[in-house]
Amino acid sequence: MKKGNGMNQPKKGYTRREMLKMSAVAGGGLAIGASGLGAIMKMFGATDAPTKPSGETSSVANERLDFYGAHQTGIVTPQQTYMYLVSFKITTSDRDTLIGLLRDWTRFCDLSTGGSSAIEANGRLLPPSDSGESVDLPAARLSLTFGFGPSFFSQDGTDRFGVAAQAPKYLGDIPRMPKDRIDETLSGGDICVQVCAEDQQVAFHAVRNLIRLSAFTASVLWMQEGFISSPPGNTPRNLFGFKDGTANSLHDSDSGYRDIVWCGEDEPGWMQGGSYLAYRKIRMLLEVWDRSSLKDQEDTFGRHKDSGAAYGKTGEFDTVSPGELPADSHVRLAKDNGAQMHRRAYSYTGGIDARTGNVEAGLLFLSYQRNPQEQFIPMLRLMSQMDKLNEYTSHIASGMFACPGGWKPGEYIGQRLMEG
Amino acid sequence: MTHFLTKKSVTTRRKLPFAILSSAALAAVLALSACGTEAKDAAASTSTTAAETNTDTAAETTAAAEPATTDDAAAADEVDEATSAVREGAQKMKDETAKFQKALAANDDAQVKALSGSINDVWLSYENTVRNQFPLLYTEVEKYEMPIFSASAYDKTDYASLTDHAEKLQGALDNLLTAKKTSAAASEVLAQAVTGYETYVREQTDRFVEETQVFADAVKAGDIDKAKAAYTTSRAYYENIEPIAESLGDLDPKIDARLPDVESEEQWTGFHRIERSLWEDGSLEGQDKYADLLMTDVKALQAKVSELKLEPEAMVAGAMELLNEAATSKITGEEETYSHTDLVDLAANVEGSKAVYFAIIPALNDGHQELADQLDQQFQTMEKTLSQYNKDGRYALYTDLKTEQIRELSDQLSQLSELMSQTAKIL
Repeated sequence: MKKGNGMNQPKKGYTRREMLKMSAVAGGGLAIGASGLGAIMKMFGATDAPTKPSGETSSVANERLDFYGAHQTGIVTPQQTYMYLVSFKITTSDRDTLIGLLRDWTRFCDLSTGGSSAIEANGRLLPPSDSGESVDLPAARLSLTFGFGPSFFSQDGTDRFGVAAQAPKYLGDIPRMPKDRIDETLSGGDICVQVCAEDQQVAFHAVRNLIRLSAFTASVLWMQEGFISSPPGNTPRNLFGFKDGTANSLHDSDSGYRDIVWCGEDEPGWMQGGSYLAYRKIRMLLEVWDRSSLKDQEDTFGRHKDSGAAYGKTGEFDTVSPGELPADSHVRLAKDNGAQMHRRAYSYTGGIDARTGNVEAGLLFLSYQRNPQEQFIPMLRLMSQMDKLNEYTSHIASGMFACPGGWKPGEYIGQRLMEG
Repeated sequence: MTHFLTKKSVTTRRKLPFAILSSAALAAVLALSACGTEAKDAAASTSTTAAETNTDTAAETTAAAEPATTDDAAAADEVDEATSAVREGAQKMKDETAKFQKALAANDDAQVKALSGSINDVWLSYENTVRNQFPLLYTEVEKYEMPIFSASAYDKTDYASLTDHAEKLQGALDNLLTAKKTSAAASEVLAQAVTGYETYVREQTDRFVEETQVFADAVKAGDIDKAKAAYTTSRAYYENIEPIAESLGDLDPKIDARLPDVESEEQWTGFHRIERSLWEDGSLEGQDKYADLLMTDVKALQAKVSELKLEPEAMVAGAMELLNEAATSKITGEEETYSHTDLVDLAANVEGSKAVYFAIIPALNDGHQELADQLDQQFQTMEKTLSQYNKDGRYALYTDLKTEQIRELSDQLSQLSELMSQTAKIL
């Protein structure tokens, strides 16, 4: 709900009492979707779905992404500017407690993707129920994408939550690759959430409150923040100044996504329409890169820096002729390997390495594919051995997560997995 | 006894603190490019003894050097200001060196030390002019002057070695006295630079193979201390030329891979495999086969290097790669995980890039003087800082360094790299 323009508009959030009333009306699991909310609010005499107050210009900021659908948002959604990746370890061994968390999270996602906050009127002597920093902010295309890691299904041989039999087909930790410098404390996890939005404050608000809600059930393992920026319609550039994600155009169609991204009937029901998230935190040695000649840089990728065109071509989207690229160039290796994936990477920056003065920065590589064993791991292995890009990069964290198919209103996150 | 000529001999010095390039190596860089930019008269050309450790080719090229024969008398009267400043300096230096030689003959330790300092003072007073005017003779003088200056910091005086150096220095200074500037086509200068550098690479590789043999023998004999010492010595030669090795097939991973670099431990061979045994396990058990493999691989490298033909771009790029190596894995202590001798490697990387710099000075002088000056200054700074961590030819362990010290090295390395990245202008 959006704040009004000064007239007597309803509060942004609603009281706990109201929420309980609404849930009774909605029936069953409290998952009032953005579309459902309007109907329910009407019953209470509140205004309908947010009207855009006059004076607001950014339609992108106001744009909401439906938390419900055949697929989770944030997978083939055009990239929002800000991203957080947060990984949890489930500390409870009790299924019902876990399900309680998943319900709470669902409720929260429903509200925040609609631009709402669950402000409960608790009284001043209690901590506020929501941290409040996004209370004045619009939905900002917030998306939350949930994935389950290998350890969720089975850890040290134990079927922790009774779902081992439901394990998806191609899930597994990414095996060790040559030249890896993987920090285990930044890798893996039971549940990973990718939170994206056009407004960093909105994105972080979501992350923070997910963490808060998980207090009794999970603990945070690690969190990364990233950004990517480009004018609409342009392929964004990474911190090496090269366009990142050109090849996504090759499968940009319903059938393309079916072939490349969405899991199909060979998977358990809950995973169908979902996808596997492959994650690599790739440190970029910016200082060394910035001292390299343009030719060296372009030879590293096999594309021209400014246009994004492959060697021997003039347009960014011209079909690549791998033979015209240097044998160890990044794009050549990718094409020779032939696998396709949906790339959705974000850049990251951190602190300064006190020893060298180098900025800690790089790429949070994220790709979605229906079969990472075929579409991702072989290419990763090939590149770790041969890619000229390795001179400027270092893989420092890793993860693979199974992201379920999309949710229906009334369903909680992972319900078909937990109750399948 | 030849500690002046070892790569690790260092003292604190205002200028270049250690005998960077072995005399043979420097001779190589110089001699093959000795013709073209500098003319020496026929008499002086015979005293280009710097080349005596080199091949016949050197003699040929020196003989073919532009002889200032017919217009000798006339030209002698037409030297410009710079050349006459050079001659003045060279004469002064010859005088000091003569005193030095006397002190050596008289076994006068105190005088020897004092004079090695004063020789350096004279050199510093006019060396920039020499570098600008006669870059190839500059490096020749440097080569003998440096170990002489280093001697002033050592407790023990190596009379035999110093006597030899002093004699060669006199020869180099004689060349300087009679040198006259001529011009050569830029491309020719560059081509000569490449040839000279190729010889340097071959020299380093030969020394590398020799020292690796010492290492391998020590490993097989089970002599831990000897193996540890030889590990460092041999690796320094490798780190001088590593990018070249990298470009020659997959010998670099076989020789120099670290454990994280390989696909599985079973495939791990080379120096670092033995390094772990020596420093972590404290034993040489089972290492014989790695020593044998290493010798096979380094000899294979030697064979490939003997046929090496570089393009100028590759040579210049190689200098950058050496500094990148230093900046990405040596400065972080990642290279020598067990022995912590990363500083040795780092110094060798810097030294290797300096060899390229030496080779391209003539090309730099032609229109990029400021860059040449800056590079010179930065190498000095870098070497001076490194020398702080060197005692009697041995570098401190990486683990002994404080973060601020590493940072200081890193910053200077970055600055050096920035400058080096601009040298592609000569291409």
